Amino acid sequence: MAGWLDPYESAAVTLTVNGASREVRVPPRRTLADALRDAGLTSVRLGCEHGVCGSCTILLDGTAVRSCLMLAVQGQGHDIETVESLADGDGLSALQQAFDDNDALQCGFCTPGFLMLIESLLRSEPEAGRDRILEVVSSNLCRCTGAVPVFQAALDALAANRDDP
Amino acid sequence: MSAPRGGLIGSPAPRRKNRELLTGEGTYVADIRLEGQVYARVVRSPSAHARLLGVDTSEALRVPGVVAAITADDIDDIRIPIRLPFAESPEANAVLQAPLAADVVRYVGEPVAVVVADDPYVAEDAAELVSVDLEELEPVLDPATSAESSRTLVHESFGSNTIGRLAYRYGDVDAAFAQADVVVRRRLRVHRLAATPMETRGLVADYDSGSGGLTVWGGAKVKHFTRALLSRVLGLELTKVRVIEVEVGGGFGTRGEPYPEDILVALLARRLERPVQWIEDRWEHMVATNHAREQEHDFELAAGADGRMLGFRVRGWCDHGAYVRTQGLLPVVLPMVHLPGPYEWQAFSMDLDAVLTNRTPVGTYRGPGMTEATFVRERMVDILAAELQMDPADLRRRNLIPAESMPFSFMPGPGSGAVMPIMYQGGDFVQAFDQMLDGAGYDRMRVEQQQARADGQHAGVGISAYIEFAAVGPFEEVEVIGGAGNVVVRAGVGSLGQGVETALAQIAAELLDVPLTDVTVEFHDTAEVPQGFGAFASRSTVLAGNAIAAAVDEMRAVAAPLLGCGPDDVEFRGGAATAPGDRSVGLGDIGPTRGRFEKEGLTASFGGAVCSVSVNPADGRARVDRFALAHDVGRAVNPRLLRGQLAGAAAQGIGGALFEEIAYDEHGQPLSVTFADYMMPTAAELPDVEVTIIEHGSGSNPLGIKGGGEAGMVGSLGAVANGVADAVGAGAEVLSSSVSSAHLWHALHRPTGHDPGEE
Repeated sequence: MAGWLDPYESAAVTLTVNGASREVRVPPRRTLADALRDAGLTSVRLGCEHGVCGSCTILLDGTAVRSCLMLAVQGQGHDIETVESLADGDGLSALQQAFDDNDALQCGFCTPGFLMLIESLLRSEPEAGRDRILEVVSSNLCRCTGAVPVFQAALDALAANRDDP
Repeated sequence: MSAPRGGLIGSPAPRRKNRELLTGEGTYVADIRLEGQVYARVVRSPSAHARLLGVDTSEALRVPGVVAAITADDIDDIRIPIRLPFAESPEANAVLQAPLAADVVRYVGEPVAVVVADDPYVAEDAAELVSVDLEELEPVLDPATSAESSRTLVHESFGSNTIGRLAYRYGDVDAAFAQADVVVRRRLRVHRLAATPMETRGLVADYDSGSGGLTVWGGAKVKHFTRALLSRVLGLELTKVRVIEVEVGGGFGTRGEPYPEDILVALLARRLERPVQWIEDRWEHMVATNHAREQEHDFELAAGADGRMLGFRVRGWCDHGAYVRTQGLLPVVLPMVHLPGPYEWQAFSMDLDAVLTNRTPVGTYRGPGMTEATFVRERMVDILAAELQMDPADLRRRNLIPAESMPFSFMPGPGSGAVMPIMYQGGDFVQAFDQMLDGAGYDRMRVEQQQARADGQHAGVGISAYIEFAAVGPFEEVEVIGGAGNVVVRAGVGSLGQGVETALAQIAAELLDVPLTDVTVEFHDTAEVPQGFGAFASRSTVLAGNAIAAAVDEMRAVAAPLLGCGPDDVEFRGGAATAPGDRSVGLGDIGPTRGRFEKEGLTASFGGAVCSVSVNPADGRARVDRFALAHDVGRAVNPRLLRGQLAGAAAQGIGGALFEEIAYDEHGQPLSVTFADYMMPTAAELPDVEVTIIEHGSGSNPLGIKGGGEAGMVGSLGAVANGVADAVGAGAEVLSSSVSSAHLWHALHRPTGHDPGEE
């Protein structure tokens, strides 16, 4: 077993992001959010860096997590997805389209985190009811819209997914 | 020849940019990475008030990777100036902030040093090694006692904690009180709030020693003012400084004013000749970025037994925090002009003090001054309604300024200081008020309230009505460049996530009769847009929109001789200027034109809010079950975006009333420095805000537009507080704009019905 690393030393970590595997060298204390941003995945946004706002939400093996509360080295061996993976070429995903239709974004800063949060719900709990959807949507903060339009977008996206999975 | 397109102004055109933001492609300032970039970390005062005996950076400088550490000794003795001439005074100019504290620190979070390293983590480590030697002083923490009785001075050399006293007299207020059957008096408190956009502030500055040019990314709101300030401070020609706005994660009044960091980052970039990035973290944001709203008002209101409101007297203290920042005395100027509101007073007398405390400086936050003033006045109107046992809606309707009295003014009388006269250009307040109540179903809300009460619930209905002054000048200038299939509009305003580029494109497309998709709006770069005043006071669409109309008129004038007709005969059809008969000239052949719209004074709009509230007395939690607002926007350029702005602003206001508060302890230590302490509402705590758009036009500009970006906030604190007061009845008296569960529980469980925090 390797010894302890100094804060300024780097470790090689293999991150699988949006289906592609990439090797990054990171100091052990670097957060996963920072490492992803350093790797060019700037849709991962930092609004608080203490796990409340949810702007840095990504999918880790399909589950929504706050990437500011994880270390990059903990990402090794996991399947990471960011909002860069949602759109299919030029077309928006049904969820992204639901955001557009419901005016669920203004400044756009919190939007990728909300999209990944609801994407996780779409996949893991496609039958989720109104209360559960509201519970999940209320994990993240949106200062421009108050997030009620985000909730409407989530309702639409889950309903559309049930009709046409 | 195709028929004129028309109808774009007023259409719910989809917002530009959405695709980019939905796919995560938008570039915010933290996303910028330049070759050789280094990272700044600000060392901040841990104390609210202390003598600064020394700042030692030697240990920080020994950390590998650290490239610089500066203190006040390393920079010129400068102060950050007030941006608006009408918000300046000699007293305010005496208490401006330096980029780094030199002798005394005056609030927790005040910058005392900056450390720069090649890695942001290292910069943060090294900043913690900067040793700050402090000798503690007594902090000044309460606005009213700061002015009246504090032994300690926030700025010793200034000699007082009061930096301005505004007086406004209208009519014979003593006579109005002498006629009164009823007088109600209360001291009301507006609590300290913060705008808290999801993206913290940030900057990247890069100095090119070859060209001598400085480029700053992360500008917003007032880019041209920031450019002028940096040019002066750094001794660079104006044309050598370029301020670029990238994607902005919310502004709400606080982002984009020049702060200490704007100067420090630019200075460091030039000194190091390397790109310097500074990204504020959330803790810093909560202590470094402007706070807002905190004030206290002693208010007395005189009325007849029939509910005719005769006059009021108000004595208030408006906190500016430890320094006056770029917005100058607006925290006292704006409440004053908004206190009378939409009612037909016979007389009033207002005395407001601008005071200092040892806390983060106060600036403007969406609906500044007007939100505070509306809470104070509207709460008093409901207290009067309870006293007279009148329906709060009836009482308001009886006192609204009638349409036949428009235009209307409360001209300042003898005894007034140098104040802006309060003038309303037009509108039908009674009609708009009734439209709001009808839209909300006010009568039904009252019936449902009675049913809920019969079921043992604490249910209330709250109303507020307001005047918003917005759309301040002095002017905006735009350039319109026509081309085949592409029209470029260059404007000096800014986008803070509100979608102004969409609204301006709609105006240009309609006036020139081109497809909306053909119009590009550029406002990001001061190098391309020679001048502008920025995005504040809900002015961007009004000022730049009318400047576009002027530029289109200029195109008509240029095209007329080419077409051999008079300018009035020129019509724009399908990307060309056309004359009667068959003659036409393409927009690209007319050449660029400039349009300028000058505007004196402020535009007044009427609006209001009504909400249903329920309170659980067991835990003091209030819930806003419904919230309906109305606002007179003159003419809605894009009702869809406008609704988003109004509803979003209302959501912030509801959060501000129910959850948010910047609290300090008795030592001046801030208690709300994370999102776990400063609690913003989520979708689960908010109603789906209902919006009624009133379009009563406006004589003050050719397009007939009034402001709309902030208005949803203005009535929110007042309506929610009134709804909570109605719900709890005699159980507690609501005297603070904060009706959080903590305040409400204390008030409900004390025999006096007062929250100890308010006393």
